[in-house]
Amino acid sequence: MQSTDTEFLIPSSVSEALSSIALEDAIFLGGGTSTALLYKTRMIEPSRVVWLGNVGELKGIFTSPTEVKIGSMVTMAEIAADREIARLLPGVSTAAGVIGNARVRAMATLGGALAHADPRQDLPPALIAVDAKVSVRNASSSREINLADFYEGFLETVLSPDELITEVTVPILQNRRSSYLRYTPTSEGDYPTVGAGASLTFNEDGKSISTATLVLCGVGAVPIVSSEAGLALAGTTGDDSALLRAAELVRGAVDPQDDERGTADYKRDMAAVFAYRALKACLNS
Amino acid sequence: MKINLSLNGKGMELEVDPMALALDVLRGLSLTGTKEGCGVGVCGACTIMVNGSPVSSCLCLTGTLADKDVWTIEGLAEKMPELIDSFVENEGMQCGICTPGQIVAAASIDSVGASSPEEVKKYMAGNLCRCTGYQTILSAVEDHVAVN
Repeated sequence: MQSTDTEFLIPSSVSEALSSIALEDAIFLGGGTSTALLYKTRMIEPSRVVWLGNVGELKGIFTSPTEVKIGSMVTMAEIAADREIARLLPGVSTAAGVIGNARVRAMATLGGALAHADPRQDLPPALIAVDAKVSVRNASSSREINLADFYEGFLETVLSPDELITEVTVPILQNRRSSYLRYTPTSEGDYPTVGAGASLTFNEDGKSISTATLVLCGVGAVPIVSSEAGLALAGTTGDDSALLRAAELVRGAVDPQDDERGTADYKRDMAAVFAYRALKACLNS
Repeated sequence: MKINLSLNGKGMELEVDPMALALDVLRGLSLTGTKEGCGVGVCGACTIMVNGSPVSSCLCLTGTLADKDVWTIEGLAEKMPELIDSFVENEGMQCGICTPGQIVAAASIDSVGASSPEEVKKYMAGNLCRCTGYQTILSAVEDHVAVN
């Protein structure tokens, strides 16, 4: 590769990082697995890179009875290895553990993965299914965004160039069960043809479903929430016919494209199959 | 830009382009055991060990190695001769191009705590062998895990 004039900064705090980004074409850098690919192919040519590897504030996982907070510089390997996340958020744990390969999981960070916004990524549907919120800061203000409202298109999010993802918060509900399943016909480390994140929240009787969320990746320009499937499950007991009926509704929500991972029709079929299996996996979790 | 790091057990200061790939920087230091295969983080031929974890050096911007503990196949071959022996005894190589990456990945397996054959297989899934000599490679890694 050619040598470059890109300025490379290594701040040690969030405030230092935020004050370093006020430059056109400056970017934040997490683990670099996505950024390096975009940079190698000259899809990005940043004038300044602000690497967050030394910002300790962004590296913790905090679990309480009511919520899980994950810092944006926590790696996929760390999320997958965390026992509390595995217990409380099995779908998130599964998704983090199947991304790419062991090398990608060791490098890739939560904040970097969300900001990258490739619609085939495993983690977003698993997180959206459990109502994850993204905390974002710039030098003067902060805001919280529902991950469900975070994506605008292929590699596009609602983030402004000066905004930094600091953490992701997931509420813990006692009566909720969640899962993530993916299907890929190619190699284990590839993006999925379709991935399905699901959650079922039960009423206090423990039998009837109060709310259900079903989210698909790989079958549209952004992760797709099938609100019709969710509505169809509310009030049911999650019996097999209700799950099958809800999973079929996914067909109308997805918008897949033909590519080497399957034709659009095939992906629509697989979306319904894996939506059903993800819902079923919630009941077995 | 100057960065400090430990490379194959030796602390050093290097003058580097922070946006250069670790793969190119290491090979430029005559550490040519690290191979480029796919160049997109899929094949594992360029695996190096950073703070105990396996990393694709083809996706690793050199600036991110500041203050890290970095090992390549050259250093690990000296440090872990029994791991090399395990690959030799199991004939865990054919043409050899993927072998440095396979060995560095195996040396980094403690980072995920894989121990059962199934866990070893899942962990090693990201290191491709186009000769498809997987069974002997997995046997070599399993033997290594069993004695460590």
